[in-house]
This record gives sequence, structure tokens and C-alpha cells, in this order.
Amino acid sequence: MSYYDIDAILTDAEKIPCTFQLDIPDLGYLDNTPSQPLKAGTKVNLPLWLAEMLVIANTGAADNKTFVTFDLPRALGNDVVQALKADPRAVPLRDQSAHFYGLATHMLDLSEEQELGSVLRKTFVTRAAEISLHARKVGSIGHKAKSKGEGASEMGSNLGLGGAGEEFLRGLDEWERSLFRKAHEGAKAGKDWIESVKKN
Amino acid sequence: MPMYGDLGNKLALHAKRTQNLAHLPPYQAELVRAVTREVRDLDKEVTTLLEPFQGSFDPAADHATACTLLVNHLSMRRNKRCLLAYHRTRTDKLEEHVWNGVDVLDLVAQQQAGGGNGAAISGEGGASSSLSPQEEDYVRQYGDLLAAYKGQWTDIDLTGSLEPPRDLFIDVRVLKDAGEIQTEYGYVAAVHGSSRICCAGH
Amino acid sequence: MDIDDILREVDPTFHSIPKEKQDLQELTRAWIAERSAPELLPWPPNGLFERINDNIKSQIEKVEEMTGDMDPRTNFALIVIQTELERYKYLVRSYLRARIAKIDKHTLHYLSTDNLRSRLSEMELAYATRHQALLHNHYLSSFLSSFPPQLQNLNDAAGINMVETPDLDAAVFIRLLKDVFVEGRGVDSDVTMDGRESDIVILRWSDAKPLVEAGQAELV
Repeated sequence: MSYYDIDAILTDAEKIPCTFQLDIPDLGYLDNTPSQPLKAGTKVNLPLWLAEMLVIANTGAADNKTFVTFDLPRALGNDVVQALKADPRAVPLRDQSAHFYGLATHMLDLSEEQELGSVLRKTFVTRAAEISLHARKVGSIGHKAKSKGEGASEMGSNLGLGGAGEEFLRGLDEWERSLFRKAHEGAKAGKDWIESVKKN
Repeated sequence: MPMYGDLGNKLALHAKRTQNLAHLPPYQAELVRAVTREVRDLDKEVTTLLEPFQGSFDPAADHATACTLLVNHLSMRRNKRCLLAYHRTRTDKLEEHVWNGVDVLDLVAQQQAGGGNGAAISGEGGASSSLSPQEEDYVRQYGDLLAAYKGQWTDIDLTGSLEPPRDLFIDVRVLKDAGEIQTEYGYVAAVHGSSRICCAGH
Repeated sequence: MDIDDILREVDPTFHSIPKEKQDLQELTRAWIAERSAPELLPWPPNGLFERINDNIKSQIEKVEEMTGDMDPRTNFALIVIQTELERYKYLVRSYLRARIAKIDKHTLHYLSTDNLRSRLSEMELAYATRHQALLHNHYLSSFLSSFPPQLQNLNDAAGINMVETPDLDAAVFIRLLKDVFVEGRGVDSDVTMDGRESDIVILRWSDAKPLVEAGQAELV
């Protein structure tokens, strides 16, 4: 976990559904009612940077109760997991969360979801292979490499990948995008090197 | 209903955008001030919350206050992280300019004078500088620091190209038979009177 | 054909000073290792860089002396020396820049203990200290000074550790210099192998480091 990393900071802003376990007079604003106390049982979406500590922190009471309990966010809900099991490549992860894997990693740290972990692992491996394929294809058909900052969707649409490939690249989360960039740059550098050797 | 940390998040989004731009977008002075104010307000709230306890607050005895204090504390820490990361992203960019020999301050001056070129680096900067006064100081001081470090390596040209020098091909006239010469591209026979291509520098 | 061979032909005295050749080899090795390792490696001891700097200076003088001499034989030597000089300068520059990049990325980490500080050259230490001071000052004057005092630190370990550290588990390639037993930690299971001399292995830097430090392997 890197303190200054912007993507880590943005991942920490992802919200997850939480339920408060006790009445808290001063936190009504979290539920849009600043003048009222926050009642036990209230469901509020809290960003990870807040939720994580509230979930872990012990109230100090004898029954070991925590301040809040949490559920998995919809991005990691049953619908998504089922779709990923069916075909990891068919799910635009970006629509679930721009920092899908970052969010998932945090959630796995907080919970004991064995199955979720293995589904996500298979998802990443399958999609990574597909990403690498696209990254190389982009290089080999002789298109200009795009500058670093451009989104994968632009990469896809300008590179004549065709509908399906373009749609897949648009659905990459931030981590996958950086993988795509690295794979693309690697393939391009390799190609340039071979060409320079040929020239000599 | 905005909550604590929302403004800090805006800074993080600005930083993310900045990373992907060649130029430095305008400094978000208002936002920085607002997030800093939020930290001070949160700190005051903590003081007020703790006042009745006169230094003997027991979190186990008052869960609700403990929770509020934790939320306030985390919000302050979050804001601090967003502020630091935002400023760091910008100084990284400024340092990159200094290494590349871009005269950032000169560009800023042009821009303030209404010169056409200035707009190119500022993007939507308008009449005001895209750097904060503190950033202008920083650029100057970092420039001095780099110059001092570079000065210790005058013969190297530390900020020079990081492209490796190209192979240099040299025409060699063979003055006497030297038999076969091994090069990294294979053997060549060096026979008197012939011209050969030699490669130096690999 | 190695540049040294060319120089030896041009300048028969070249081989009588093998120290320079040794230094060049040492520099090249340090350069490759520094560019591959995820963390800053120790600054080479024994005044290697002082010698290299002197050497570059004298080569530059030589070039200046030789320029203008139109005798084709020395003219050819001039080209060779200039080429070598460019390469030499490139190696030093690229090496120093690789180090500065690492120092800038994790300044507080490298300044945090005497042991880590000792990896930096005197100049790098001065640069890193000053750079960190400039940054801290910049944060203070931009916003940090109006924070409550207990929130002004830049090295808190509570919550997310503010002092970032290099990823010692990043992957590196090494070439084995001896027959040696190699152990690598994996995600699911660990791997061990009887490595042979000149085998090339990819593994985590944290696993490779002991081998490299013992001279049993080198980074490639």
C-alpha cells in the first residue's frame, strides 16, 4: 500500500454498504440528517478509508461488537460473480468499478470469501491473456503507439480492433489498463529492437 | 449531503488528471484552502468533544463519542493524504520539467504577460499562473539543487540524453593482411587493399 | 571485436594500464545491476568513480590535443577515442540517473537509518537531504503549517505508513556465476533448484539478493 499513490487513494474512495451497530448522536450527517442522531441499524454507503477502520475497530464493549458491519458492494455481488464464472472476458469490469481489483483486494482482506478470491484470480489470469493478445495485435498492425495517458477505449477505437475487442478494452479497470500499456510498450520496444538489428 | 473527505477526493481526481497531462493544470488554491480548513474544523470538533471529559476520556465507557472521534480522526488523516499526494504529483511534474531543461518560470512569465505560448502549457489557466507562488519558489530551489548536483559531474552532462550512443561504423582501410578479424557480426577477412566496415562501440 | 582490442592496436600502451579496463568492467556491472535491482545498491567503494571521472577528464584532454591533427592515423584513433568517451559518459550518466530516480522515489526510506544512508555517495546524501527539506518546506508553506501539530509529520507509521519503501519482491533476472542451490518463494508454493553456472533465473529480488551479495550470481 503506497501512501502517495493516486490510484490507491482513489480506490480508498470506493464505497461499500455498511450498517451502524449503535446510536451515534453526532454522525447523523453521514445519513443526510445532520440534525438527527444516527440510529443503530442505519445502512450507509461509506468510503473504504472510513469503513475499513470502523469495521475493524473494537468498541471496547464486552460483547466484542464493532461500530459497523458491512456487506459486499454490488460490484462484487452475486450477479457479477456468476457472470465472471461464465466468461470473465464478457464482463466490463470498469462499469462495476474503475478500481475493481483494488476494491476486491480490500474486501478480501476484510472477509473470508474463499470462493470470491478464486473466481477473481481466474478472472484476472484469463483477462490478462486477452489483454496481452490485444496489446500485441495493436503493435503488429503498424499503428502508432499512443501516448501514455490516453484511455484504453481510445486506444481500442483508433486501432481498428473491431467491435468486440474495442468493447473489451473499454471495460478494463485501472490495473488492467496499466497492464495493457506495459504489454503494448513491451511489444513495441521488442519490435523496434528487432527492426534496428535487421537494419544493421 | 457532502461528507468529510469529499473535497479531498476532488484533489485526488485532479492529481490523477495531472498525471496524464503533458502540461501542469492550474493549481487548485481554493480547494487546497477548503480541505485545509476542513482539517482545522475537524480538529476543533475533536477538542470540543473531549472538553467535557477533562482529559480522562474512556472510549469503552462512551462508544458513541469514541466512534465520532475515530471518524473525525480518519477524516483528518484522509485529507492530509489527499493534500500531500496532490502536491507531490505536481512537484514530480515540476521536477521532470527542471530535468528536461524546461524553464517553467519563464513559461509562467510569458503566460502572465498574455503571450500566446503561455496558453499552451497552462491549458485553461487564463490570466493567472498555473503555479502557486510556493510552487514557483520550489521550482527555483530545486533548480539550484539540481545545478549543484550536476556541477559535481561537469564532464558527464547529467541531464543529457539517456539514449545509448549509436553504433559507429567506420571505414577502415586495411594496410596489411591481418587474416580473419572477429566482430560481433561474424568474421571478416582483412586483406591488404580491401576496404572493410568495422564497428566500434558495442 | 571489443573496443579494448581496437584501442590496444591503436595505442600499444593501452594494455599496460589494466586498472582502467577493470574500472570500466566494474562500472558496466554496477550499471546493469543498478538498473535491474528494485532497490538502491551500495555506492561502489575504493574510489571507483573518482578514477572514472579522472579518466574521462584525461580522455577529453586527449581529444582536444588530437583535434586539428590531420594525420589519418591519429585521426582514426581520435574517432575511436571519441566514441569510447561518449559510451563512457553514457554509462556514468545512466548509472547516476538510475540511482537518483530511486533516491527521489523513496527519499525518506533511504535517509531513515545509518545502514541505508551508507548506500548513498556523499553527494547523493547531500542531494537527498536537501531535496527532502525542500519538499517538506513546500508542504509546510502550502498547507501543512496550518495543520494541528500532531498531524504535521511526514513519517507517521500509524494507518498507512507514510514512508514508502521499494518493492523487494519485484522480479529480477540473474545469471549464476557458480553451481548453486537456488530457492525462490512463490505465491502458491516455493521452488528450489540445483542451479548450474551461467544459468539464467528469474525470481524475486529478495530471494536473489543473498546470491548476488555472496558473488554467486549477478544481475542481468
